[in-house]
Amino acid sequence: MGDHVGTKLDHENHLLLDQPLLRLPFELLRKNFRSAHFEVEKDGTFVKNLLKETASANYSQTPQEDVLKNLDTMIARMRGVKRKLTAFAEEEDRLYHHEEARVKHLAELYSMYSVDDVKYESWSRTRLDRLLVDYLLRHGYNDSARALAEERGIELLVDVDTFEQMSRIRKSLLNGSVTEALAWCAAGDTKKELRKMDSNLEFMLRYQQYIEIVRSKARTKPNEALAHAKKYLFPYRETYPHEFRQACGLLAIPPGDARSVYSELYSQARWEMLADLFTSTHNTLLSLPPVPLLHVALSLGLSALKTPACHSIHPASTAGAPSHSTSMLLAASVCPICSTELNELARNVPYANHSKSHVEPDLLMLPNGRAYGKARLEEYARKAGLLDGQVKDLRTGEIFSMDRLKKVYIS
Amino acid sequence: MAMLQLENDLQKLTQTARLSNAMEDVDQIINLLTMIREKYAAENNPHETNLELTMLQNPIKVRLDELNKKLRSVHKAQNDFSKSLKTAFGKANGTLPTDHDPMESQTALINRAIAMHLLREGEFGVASTFISEAQPQNDSSRESSHSFTQPSPGTMDSETSPRSPTPADTIITDADWSAFQSQTLQSSFASMYSILSHLRSHNLHPAIEWARRNCTELEARGSNLEFELCKLQFVWLFKGPVVNGLPDTPENGVSGALQYARQNFGRFQSRHLREIQQLSCAMVYSPNLGSSPYRSIFDISLAFDEVASSFTREFCSLLGLSAESPLYVAATAGALALPQLVKYTSKMKAKGTEWTTTNELAFETPLPPSMLYHPIFVCPVSKEKTTDANPPMILPCGHVLARESLQRLAKGSRYKCPYCPTEGVIKDAREIIL
Ligand SMILES: [Zn+2]
Ligand SMILES: [Zn+2]
Repeated sequence: MGDHVGTKLDHENHLLLDQPLLRLPFELLRKNFRSAHFEVEKDGTFVKNLLKETASANYSQTPQEDVLKNLDTMIARMRGVKRKLTAFAEEEDRLYHHEEARVKHLAELYSMYSVDDVKYESWSRTRLDRLLVDYLLRHGYNDSARALAEERGIELLVDVDTFEQMSRIRKSLLNGSVTEALAWCAAGDTKKELRKMDSNLEFMLRYQQYIEIVRSKARTKPNEALAHAKKYLFPYRETYPHEFRQACGLLAIPPGDARSVYSELYSQARWEMLADLFTSTHNTLLSLPPVPLLHVALSLGLSALKTPACHSIHPASTAGAPSHSTSMLLAASVCPICSTELNELARNVPYANHSKSHVEPDLLMLPNGRAYGKARLEEYARKAGLLDGQVKDLRTGEIFSMDRLKKVYIS
Repeated sequence: MAMLQLENDLQKLTQTARLSNAMEDVDQIINLLTMIREKYAAENNPHETNLELTMLQNPIKVRLDELNKKLRSVHKAQNDFSKSLKTAFGKANGTLPTDHDPMESQTALINRAIAMHLLREGEFGVASTFISEAQPQNDSSRESSHSFTQPSPGTMDSETSPRSPTPADTIITDADWSAFQSQTLQSSFASMYSILSHLRSHNLHPAIEWARRNCTELEARGSNLEFELCKLQFVWLFKGPVVNGLPDTPENGVSGALQYARQNFGRFQSRHLREIQQLSCAMVYSPNLGSSPYRSIFDISLAFDEVASSFTREFCSLLGLSAESPLYVAATAGALALPQLVKYTSKMKAKGTEWTTTNELAFETPLPPSMLYHPIFVCPVSKEKTTDANPPMILPCGHVLARESLQRLAKGSRYKCPYCPTEGVIKDAREIIL
């Protein structure tokens, strides 16, 4: 047990879990920039063209009021640019603050060298708080997430706003509305980015819109469905041939026929599929990991801590870790996997791989078959006020004479 | 050092790459346009302004170009920072193992662990928000439709004596578990925090009272908490009003300590006679304790912190809980073990093997000794960890093997120890509990 493997902090590798932490504000920063650029470009070109038009048209004696009107339009446009740019700059500032706080938080790790450092404990606690807030947000427990972030003062290290927006859109999909999700696709340059990643989200939303039109109006206004299909689905007939053919067939088969091959298209499950598609598209677009990082940390952490003893039929044996030297008590803490919080959760994960035994030094076996380290037995005997030459079983309380102990050799 | 470099790079980015830099160009364009508009509205000579309108095109174009240039430089700075980000995580560039998520279907149990974590951390407000938010009836989102399930047996009972079984346990249904459980747990932790805050202000009475109420359970755990607390109370009184700030009465100081000892130490005499003797001998040296052989007993600079952490540990243990939040320990262990997993998965990717297919991790995950809670015995012959089904066996010579290894080694009813020259019969080997 004397080796210090696992105690030293390997900074670079220790931050594997934290790449997404810096990634998200940066992706949002880029998105923010692209949107700003898009607006400036659009309005700048507009003003430039209108000015040119006004100047050249003026030679042919345009009425003064028209020129003034054009100038007013240009001024209004530029004021709009200023307003929008101010908003984008504020968002940029906010994101810079987030990114700065996060880099600072990660850089703090570099001043710690050992896992046993008290500073590391508080750092790691903050990491858990971050992972928890992320988990809560991904499950739509927004109030809890907000409260925890505030309580722990880690608002700059978590992404409440981003996830709240996402969960709002997700909820609207689950309630059968594509409007919010379509608006999200159309905002800024998202459309372009979605095309770049070959996303089918927008098509699937339009397709669902089509299904809803067919469901409610196929009989009364068949043309509306046709028009929608022509406008939004037809351009994708080669990208999504299967869906396109399906969509065409849908017109001929009314909803409500349970045996219909199309009943699946009319089902509520479609909305859940769309909500999931939206979530995964959103996460990919922003470089967010597909699963909560708490899952990654937990599933591996549970395994790394788990031993066969944690779900043993024998009554939970007390932890065998050497008692901390500062501790004045013999009994050690309950193992986290044996503890109620995690015991069931850890039942089906693999247990840790150990190539070496880890037992107390100088093991002695009592006549009842239980073995303890010599130092612990002696300390316990002293604390229990036993006569010289006697020891007491730490778990069962049985008292034995020292000369009945047997030395144990663990190779 | 990668993160420190990144800190510098980010500083450079935030100082230079700002959209607000382009604001002056926008303002200039607005000014130019406003000026000409005013002029045009006042002017009676359309030809004059007409010319100016034409001449305005160039300055506006210049300003727009300048604006775009500034935006481009923001863009370039962002691209540079993107490279810095990549470099900063260069070494840790393995992909996170997210393809296979064994926790995906465990939302109910994870939620339960989180609720308990929040309660034990004393975040009662957040905990109650969470419990109501994650409650199935209050939420339409799909993930939370099975948020809480029945706990495994043997968890929490009443606040005062945590281990005594409550008959109510058996009639609690799934639905109201979380409400019941969290209330009991919350009041347990609330009383723990109240006792701890008294300890922090050097008031030992509530802790002593708790320890006395639970003395049987504590003793069964081999804990001396009650005696340690009483001992500290004795020393604390002994220090007198100058140190402890309590009123200068006969109940304080040496006489108060003596009185306290007479009233309280009797019950400990069978177990702690020697220490009680030491404490009373020390009194003889008063007031020159500093030069007595007992001065270490009376050095209490760390004593309150120590009893506080012992108290926390014992309190949690009696609830069947570990002293440190298991969620915290597990998440930390996970982060510590992650590099090993990433290394392993990138190696295995070619073979397409999943790392969770066996009941043991395929790679070692070294943890600090403070995170090893159980003794681990790896059979030196089979290199396998022992289990209930294949327990460790000790041979009369003191060497230990897994039972299956011993059976494999044996010839008939006899064996030869692989680690020393002794031989014997299998029935002389016996199971050892490590
Ligand atoms: Zn365990
Ligand atoms: Zn041997």
